[in-house]
Amino acid sequence: MSVATSARAASSPGRRITLGRAILYALLLFFAVLYLLPLYVMLTTSFKPLAEIHQGNMLALPEQWTFAPWREAWGSACIGLECSGVHGYFFNSIKIVVPAVLISGLLGAFNGYVLTKWKFRGHKIVFGLILFSCFIPFQIILLPMARVLGILHLANSTSGLVLVHIVYGIGFTTLFFRNYYANFPDELVRAAQLDGAGFFTIFFRILLPASVPIIVVTIIWQFTNVWNDFLFGVSFASGDSAPITVALNNLVNSSTGVKAYNVNMAAAMVAAVPTLLVYILAGKYFLRGLMSGSVKG
Amino acid sequence: MSFLHIHHVHKRFGETHVLKGVDIEIEKGDFLVLVGPSGCGKSTLLNMIAGLDSISEGELRLDGQRINELHPSKRDIAMVFQSYALYPSMTVAGNIGFGLEMRKVPRAGRRAAIQRVAELLQIENLLKRKPAQLSGGQRQRVAMGRALVRDPQLFLFDEPLSNLDAKLRVDMRTEIKQLHQRLGTTIVYVTHDQIEAMTLATRIAVMRAGELQQLGTPQSVYDDPNNLFVAGFMGSPSMNLVPARIAEKAGALVALIETEKATLALPIVRDRQALTDWCDKAVMLGLRPEAITDPASANRDGGEIFEADLEVDLVEPTGADLYVVTRLGGTNVNARMRPGSPPQSGTQTRFAFDVSRMVAFDPDSEARIRDRASVGSAPLASSA
Repeated sequence: MSVATSARAASSPGRRITLGRAILYALLLFFAVLYLLPLYVMLTTSFKPLAEIHQGNMLALPEQWTFAPWREAWGSACIGLECSGVHGYFFNSIKIVVPAVLISGLLGAFNGYVLTKWKFRGHKIVFGLILFSCFIPFQIILLPMARVLGILHLANSTSGLVLVHIVYGIGFTTLFFRNYYANFPDELVRAAQLDGAGFFTIFFRILLPASVPIIVVTIIWQFTNVWNDFLFGVSFASGDSAPITVALNNLVNSSTGVKAYNVNMAAAMVAAVPTLLVYILAGKYFLRGLMSGSVKG
Repeated sequence: MSFLHIHHVHKRFGETHVLKGVDIEIEKGDFLVLVGPSGCGKSTLLNMIAGLDSISEGELRLDGQRINELHPSKRDIAMVFQSYALYPSMTVAGNIGFGLEMRKVPRAGRRAAIQRVAELLQIENLLKRKPAQLSGGQRQRVAMGRALVRDPQLFLFDEPLSNLDAKLRVDMRTEIKQLHQRLGTTIVYVTHDQIEAMTLATRIAVMRAGELQQLGTPQSVYDDPNNLFVAGFMGSPSMNLVPARIAEKAGALVALIETEKATLALPIVRDRQALTDWCDKAVMLGLRPEAITDPASANRDGGEIFEADLEVDLVEPTGADLYVVTRLGGTNVNARMRPGSPPQSGTQTRFAFDVSRMVAFDPDSEARIRDRASVGSAPLASSA
């Protein structure tokens, strides 16, 4: 809403750029550059040969462009004793993220559906308890979760991490979908009931297809959280089943004398690219979905 | 045996008693309109017929079968909702066909049924569109199509026209009436608009605060109201309600009304027996605006006319009619006169009262004072 109006205001003809505006834009530009600088350094460094990095000019563009650091980071860099790059861990992360996002999203959607359209005695308390899980710090549950994973024989596996992320994600996904469905007209559910649709048919045929904005929000939120997680990864999965965040840490810490900054930077970019892609592809739905879930109530 | 029988139905939400024992019976092909101010329980009653709200006490029978415990989808009832409740992700065809799909009607049969309904409602060119791409009137038609396609025993309409603009509302009202006449369906229709109720219904049920006030044909509800509430609620402009005193004058019963200059004595011709007991007591008289006219447009054939000179307070032309406001018994009274040569406000003009249409109410209990055998009266639990 505010985005749309400000865009219209800026494009309206005859608007003079005042001094205040100029200062504002200058400040915005300054901060944008400041925020983009680390990314710029990471990118340029990852394309430089080591010799060039040792010359010391961090901000210079590479004199000699090379993809060697990227190839090394992907396929042959040493992580601990294993020298096969981060690619295995990259796919570990994919294997964790995809089921964790899908399952926690679906469960959250389902919770939201039941909490708004099939209200039962005490539904507010149940929602409150689910919401409470959003505020539990990660560190508190490390030990009990390790014990649970041990009992379930899921310790040190990607499946175990998937379970942890699903459990931790349900609070947020439920919050998103409940707020979205609270504004979803009850009459639609009643109409579908009269039409003869049952509990699951109403969910899958009526509500879910009309939930694209909030599904996108949930995917972005869950994808980012699960992909960027380090603490659970380092605690519950080690060695071959570690996610890429843990592998990146190990790569940087596996020193073989000379610090290969270009390889480190390339590996860090590999670890960051998926979340960037998700934002770029689905970002415009993100704001829209957050608005529709929270603003109008 | 009536087709839809609402027998002594109660609804309680916790402590609040929303419906307090409603009895209504209608026949197959009837168009029943539940009308009343908001919060009177009419929508709750409709939802109970649909099966979307449970019944606290009493019984619902459809075509002789008790349906209290029947699931909404098993009642053979279709409903048109106030917000239309179209499924946003489906096309118009998908919306109309959804009920059939749920009832496992094969694809070919479904397509034929959708086509038939689309032709009936003239929405064939919209079948591939999504609800968001439709105007209000078109959505209304689709919502009706979704109900019609299933060919149910009973149609329920929950204030279906309230989201349309004034002109479209009148058009759709006509169409609904035509549809009812053509298809001969049985309809229960909820509205708070008494004009909609009058124009559409074959039977009107006026409700207030969870209680049925009167059930009858539109004309009987209009001419012969059961109590002050029905009298004031039905009709626009509403019925004039004037405080008066019953007295005997020269052997005849009259109603004495105080005006600023003199006391008006209107002869009593209707409900004379009952009103004899009210001699020297205060009553509330009800007279429709069209029963107070100029002498030239008075109905002298069927009516009984009493003429008097009164002061004109205000003149309101509407084009078709002219409403002249005067003061009787301390309240404003609307009279409907011919447009053309309006009397000036502040002057005296001659009014003609059709006293055969005058009704009287008990000012305390608000109940109608009527003869027991009065023709055309519709007691509470009447049925055809």
